[in-house]
Amino acid sequence: MISELFANFFRFILLLFVQVLVLDQIEISGPVNGYFNAYLYILFLLMLPVNINRLLLLLLCFITGISIDMFTGTAGMHASACLILGLIRPGFLNLIAPREGYESTLRLTIQSMGGSTFLVYAGVLTFVHHLSLFILEAFNFLNFFDLLLRVITCSIFTMLLIVMSQVLSQRSKEVEG
Amino acid sequence: MRNFILIIRKYNFFIVFLLLQGLSVYLLVNNNTYQREAVVSTSNEVVGEIYSAYSDVTDYLTLGITNRLLAEENARLRRADSTSFYDSDFKLMKVNDTIGFQQYEYITSKVINNSVTKVNNYITLDAGYNKGVRKDMSVISSNGVVGIVKDVSEHFCTVMSMLNSKTRISTMIKKNGYFGSTIWSGSSPMMANLLDIPSHAKVNIGDTIVTTSFSIYPKNIMVGRVAEIGTSGESFKEIKVRLSTDFQNISYVYIVRDILKIERDTLEARTVANDQ
Repeated sequence: MISELFANFFRFILLLFVQVLVLDQIEISGPVNGYFNAYLYILFLLMLPVNINRLLLLLLCFITGISIDMFTGTAGMHASACLILGLIRPGFLNLIAPREGYESTLRLTIQSMGGSTFLVYAGVLTFVHHLSLFILEAFNFLNFFDLLLRVITCSIFTMLLIVMSQVLSQRSKEVEG
Repeated sequence: MRNFILIIRKYNFFIVFLLLQGLSVYLLVNNNTYQREAVVSTSNEVVGEIYSAYSDVTDYLTLGITNRLLAEENARLRRADSTSFYDSDFKLMKVNDTIGFQQYEYITSKVINNSVTKVNNYITLDAGYNKGVRKDMSVISSNGVVGIVKDVSEHFCTVMSMLNSKTRISTMIKKNGYFGSTIWSGSSPMMANLLDIPSHAKVNIGDTIVTTSFSIYPKNIMVGRVAEIGTSGESFKEIKVRLSTDFQNISYVYIVRDILKIERDTLEARTVANDQ
């Protein structure tokens, strides 16, 4: 229990720094500029325990979002998008639950959930988060198709990083074990 | 009353969501009108320190480019120096300089955080109240305009970059003086649009676009060059401008202090007030 708490805290700090110091500094010149931003930090929210208290989940979503906001100077934007992720996460997990429900010890990783289930789970939540984030950023619906295209490309980029980090962390555990 | 408590207990998840979401949107809207929330302003000191340490490391990686830019600027300044000119006109020698009066002072500063991918981009500089920076000062680089100071703390300030949907600069075509507003095109960090140029104005590709004296910037600061000319409607040209400042590679800038700004603002405000 304590070790899980520690693991989540460590993951929060690590993902915050990776997001702010590495991913937010990526700038691709040319016409594709802005189409390949990754927001890997939501992996922290995706990997929180399956049976976490729903109010605690909302609070953690808000704290995560506002921490990112402090670094990017966009007060409230990431916090708001993360809260929407926190709102639909419990319901969506129930929707894709196996018939006998989740075991309370299940970890929400690609290894223990299975590839396709995890991809659906993370993919849909990532898409919803990115969609709300970009709508809040633009604050209007001009160029909506352009915005939708950005949401899709950025979601794919984020998912790529999520899957890569999952596979890599599995590898490192195998090497240790 | 009992029913009310039951409803709150039943829907507590959604009510907490609405409360937190309301707080987020409140912060977001306040941020959009540039009224930075006190929470964010105080934390900016902490965040600024982290970015400052990060920038100390990345500075080494861009030393080569920065050196080249400085050398180019030196060469340009040396070319503009009076010793580089052959003195062929005697009238110039007779200009009485005692009426000269310094209007602008320049504060050098280092870029410690920068973005070009968002809809509204901001730049953070390592100069604040301690170096005399105040809100609404203009910021230029050795290549051209950069932006306007929006928020100042003790050691840092944030600049609303040219690459921001709210930035609007009063500019003119240098060779003939037709003026219009330059705004960012919103997609490429290299391009902007010049609006309100009448269709009878003569414009060629490559013409220089500079700031006017109506703007918050000093007059005749380079903005960019005309890259593409089209027409929008009957009476105006649609001009695309290639910005002279490379926002993706910007590390040292100058913050401009206009000594006469307060006098000018007071006068203009008084005129408007008298008029009403």
